Amino acid sequence: MEALLNFAGGPLFVFTFSIMVFGLARIVILDIWGSIEAYAKAGDRTINWGMAILRTIRWLIPIKSVFKSHPVYSLLSILFHVGLLLVPLFLLAHVRLWESTLGFAWFALPKFWADLLTMTTIVFGLALLVGRISSRATRFLSRKQDHLWPLLLVIPFITGYLCSNMAISSQTYQICMLIHVLSGNLILVLIPFTKLAHCVIMPFSQFIIAIAWRFPARSDDEICTTLGKKGASV
Amino acid sequence: MKTRIVTTDERERAFTNKKKPEEIEKQKLDVRYNVEDCDVADRPRRFLEAFAAILKHSNYRFALEHFIRVSAKCSMCAVECPIHQATGDSHDIPCYRSELLLSVYRRHFTIGGSLKGRIFGTGHLTDEKIQEMAESFWNCTACRRCTTECPVGIDHALITHLGRYILSEIGISPRALIVSVREQLQGKTGNTSAIPLPAMLDSLEFLEEEMKEEKGIDIKFPIDVEDCDYMFIPAVSDFLMEADTLMGIAAVMKATGASWTIGTKNFDAINYGLFYNDRMLERIIRDLDAEAKRLNAKNILIGECGHASRTAKYFMPTHCGGKDAIPVLNIIEYTHMMLRKGNLKLAPDIIKETVTFHDPCNIARQGWIVEQPREIIKAFCHDFVEMTPNRENNICCGGGGGTVSIDEIRPYRTIIGGKAKADQIRATGAKYVIAPCANCKKQIRELLEDQEIDCEMIGLHDLIYKAIVFDSSVE
Repeated sequence: MEALLNFAGGPLFVFTFSIMVFGLARIVILDIWGSIEAYAKAGDRTINWGMAILRTIRWLIPIKSVFKSHPVYSLLSILFHVGLLLVPLFLLAHVRLWESTLGFAWFALPKFWADLLTMTTIVFGLALLVGRISSRATRFLSRKQDHLWPLLLVIPFITGYLCSNMAISSQTYQICMLIHVLSGNLILVLIPFTKLAHCVIMPFSQFIIAIAWRFPARSDDEICTTLGKKGASV
Repeated sequence: MKTRIVTTDERERAFTNKKKPEEIEKQKLDVRYNVEDCDVADRPRRFLEAFAAILKHSNYRFALEHFIRVSAKCSMCAVECPIHQATGDSHDIPCYRSELLLSVYRRHFTIGGSLKGRIFGTGHLTDEKIQEMAESFWNCTACRRCTTECPVGIDHALITHLGRYILSEIGISPRALIVSVREQLQGKTGNTSAIPLPAMLDSLEFLEEEMKEEKGIDIKFPIDVEDCDYMFIPAVSDFLMEADTLMGIAAVMKATGASWTIGTKNFDAINYGLFYNDRMLERIIRDLDAEAKRLNAKNILIGECGHASRTAKYFMPTHCGGKDAIPVLNIIEYTHMMLRKGNLKLAPDIIKETVTFHDPCNIARQGWIVEQPREIIKAFCHDFVEMTPNRENNICCGGGGGTVSIDEIRPYRTIIGGKAKADQIRATGAKYVIAPCANCKKQIRELLEDQEIDCEMIGLHDLIYKAIVFDSSVE
């Protein structure tokens, strides 16, 4: 068991983390490269960058939506995302693991806040899943991954909480920790290939929209030629 | 604001009241779409060919790549869509509509999707899916409210715009739009309403006489004057249906001493290309540029028309010289500028009724023209009531995206598409609803009639015409 745990937290983690980093780097580069290409082709390159930045900030801090159409959903979603991002990065146990590998550490959350955020992430994640199933609109739209993601995401939080807070036997601890590490690895490896990729490319959305509406100059001729419609009636 | 959901029964009844059952069935199939030249055979292959050609020569691909990666299927857009709010039909959720096209892109234009599709033999484009897209994309009024609310920033309006473009390349577009654009680009009259030049000139002459009678001074529509500051070009339907708007604009130009003209080679700013085909959009823009260059006009001044203003403003630089393109203004911007400079006087005691203002999506959504009309209105109207929501977050009149031109679907527009707008207008209790857009004007006029709302639709310059004051220095 211990060997398995060492493997999952060691070489396997290095592998999945690398997949995540390279996978995300790939889609970030594709997004940026695509934007540059489209911008170069655009007939009109006057883009209101300030507005795009402002909109991006507004999108990244979606407090406004709490007071609009979906108050409960928006609030749960924001709090869920806060925990989802902060706990893995700033949990003291995680920071120490990084420190032992990298040789330096960063800010760690006090235990009270880490526990609170873990609980809110678990509860709100499951609440969002219930919301997704109970709402006609989201039920209609949802794919398999939309239902499975909340379940997968809360697993490392539940097992992590059990390991750090509950008086459990050493064997149960090891099982929980193994599930914790394996599910964490699975999440890392899936991030670049699923909707979770939005964690890094969402900030590009407003810039991409702004550039996408800037069409290439005079593409009429080229498309007519490709489609064999030259001289055809309107 | 709570919007009551229209039931299927009510929807059916609305259609039945207006048309015989056999006509309703036909509306779903033939009347709405241009099928005269449409080859129905082998549509999936032709759709994919058109899609590939457009992707190759346009800027859509990188955006689609981004959208397929971030789509979270959260349904936040559902609450913002007035169509979905009115029908309650999940097929009308903007995200579902976008997925129709995104799934085709994923399956046929990405390596992963293509591989998965081939291995499992699933997901390939079928004729039924094309039919579903045709219905879905034209149920949308292209108001772009969903786009402003998507938490991950998917531009559903851009996807619908592209979907309509691809469909039009295989012959699926509303007949009304095709016929209009054909006349505009290839017909004898060169405009979407097929108004012959002499008829247009006669109508302007008549309006000049009317203004002389009402205001006591000579107000002219200068024709084909070269080297003017402004070449004025409205939606051509204004010459037939919105005489008061044109008189109001002419009066403002007179009062402010503007150097302006109307061209005779092209007097139609309508650009239905925005609604169904980028190639047509480009051709219409190039014609607009050609007329402005023929007259050597310094600026292009678009009348009270949202989509015409948006297309000219944003696509003149695209197709006609980038930063060197002829600048485009909407008439509201001009009037606002003159009012601020103190060149325009409006009597504050003429309009005593309650007025409200409808923000046309194409000029308000991006925050371009929102405060200017309000400043103008507040300068001479005592009792101005805002609709809620308003400005960038306004609700579509229900006739956007070219649907207002399709007379056959009037019940759909006024019972479903315009439901939320009707509720908004009713809630203000206003006597006048100001709609500074040719499309919105037609739609709101029909909406008020079909929804039996005691309110009158009016253009901004129609109202200005009532209150404009000419200095004694003006002859």
